[in-house]
Amino acid sequence: MNVFIREMKANRKALILWSIGVFLMIASSMGKYAGLSASGQSVTDLMAQMPQSLKAIMGMGTFDLSTVSGYYGVLFIYLAMIAAIHATLLGASIISKEERDKTSEFLFVKPISRSKIITLKLIAALVNLLILNLVTLVSSILLVQNYSQGEGIIGDITRLMLGMFILQLIFLFIGTALAGVSKQPKTAQSYATGILLFTLMLSFAIDLNERITVLKYLTPFKYFEAKNLMDTRGFEPVYLILSGLIIAVLIKVTYIFYEKRDLNV
Amino acid sequence: MNMFLHELKAYKKFTAIWIITLVGLVVLFLSMFPTISREAEEFKRIMQGFPESIRLALGLSVENIGSILGYYSYIFLYISLFGAIQAMIIGVSILSKEVRQKTADFLLTKPVTRSQIVTAKLLAALSSLVITNIAYLGAATVMASLVETKEYSTRLFLLLSMTLFFLQLIFLALGMIVSVLVPKIKSVLSISLGIVFAFFILGALISTTRDHALRYLTPFKYFDFAYIIQHSSYESSFIAAAIGFIAIAITASYIIYSKRDIHAV
Repeated sequence: MNVFIREMKANRKALILWSIGVFLMIASSMGKYAGLSASGQSVTDLMAQMPQSLKAIMGMGTFDLSTVSGYYGVLFIYLAMIAAIHATLLGASIISKEERDKTSEFLFVKPISRSKIITLKLIAALVNLLILNLVTLVSSILLVQNYSQGEGIIGDITRLMLGMFILQLIFLFIGTALAGVSKQPKTAQSYATGILLFTLMLSFAIDLNERITVLKYLTPFKYFEAKNLMDTRGFEPVYLILSGLIIAVLIKVTYIFYEKRDLNV
Repeated sequence: MNMFLHELKAYKKFTAIWIITLVGLVVLFLSMFPTISREAEEFKRIMQGFPESIRLALGLSVENIGSILGYYSYIFLYISLFGAIQAMIIGVSILSKEVRQKTADFLLTKPVTRSQIVTAKLLAALSSLVITNIAYLGAATVMASLVETKEYSTRLFLLLSMTLFFLQLIFLALGMIVSVLVPKIKSVLSISLGIVFAFFILGALISTTRDHALRYLTPFKYFDFAYIIQHSSYESSFIAAAIGFIAIAITASYIIYSKRDIHAV
């Protein structure tokens, strides 16, 4: 329990900063919406006929920017990006920081097993993710409702945030698994960030080029896309199962490797 | 000279990885150009049927995407994001890593002044960026000439590509000043990614308004590609702002680093 409390305290400042960042991001983008919503119906018609790749380049995807839900769909891509960065860095550092800060001797001679330490650290990380997610959810609902003009948006936003939470989990455990495997504490964060940036670029490349759509299973950013979640389609079972599998494997890897590894002291 | 060579060697792998990343990105994106260019042509025909005002609102951007320079302006956003991350990481880490790796007392007891240390490290970071940019310029120019069948101005293409280097210089200076101002940097990646993405998202928000003055807030908006293509030169006011910022940041880094307490083992 002490480990948990210690981790919560250690990550408090970072969590507050990330939460403020997310809030400001939503607030400032919704401020912009007022301007965009004025530009009428025929733009929407034209947009509907625009090729997918052109829309992707302009950063709009298939959203209807004149409705608040469409606008929020575009915003969601950035929110998911922020949340994923937070989760990756948190996951990699929460496990590897004992070695980085030369405190592993101190922690691991305490009468508590390694697996218990990892469990407590993972719980602390999960709580952090959950808080960031809730901050995003609440500030989205509050700020978006100002502009929604009776459009039912709460259900859509909640579904999006659920998707974002699974995305956060995947990236958190990518971080922890790499930290568990890599012998040098420094490299875990770099590799995890590398994977994050790679998947981000891949999802963008897939939008641009329909021939490589097959690769969508490789990037979690494609698992929970705003346009599917806000559509009638909702969550697709394939991606839910795939995410579950990825998360399970990564957790297992984290435990197995970290328990057996020689720690740098 | 020893310090310079040592730093160059220490960042050899780092530089190599970033060269591969940036070259890979530009090759990937430019290889999609032929498809996109075709789609843009088709969409332009559809657009003829719509009223003049709407065509003006969207048209300019669509008009451009069909040409290599226009397409390059769009994808360059992502390349500049990665370039900024590289420069920021090296800027933040190169001075602060001595304290983190507990080698500060080893280095600072050598018969060299602190300014000499900063100079050597700054030059090493600069060399890493210069090498990266030479490789990038080569790859981008070759790739562009391969995919574009029509005439285009190589000079303009180089002018656009060179902005990567200037952007990196700004982020290098920013990273340096951050690394001497923050008392204890535990994780270079969290700080670097946080700051770069904050500026990146700020840039995305600013691009929806026409407010000129706001562009000074984020380096990602210092180089307006539409302006460069039209006038085949950079905007002098932003160049002045960039040079001013770099000069102040670097000078301040020298002064602060010469005076600050360095934490030894």
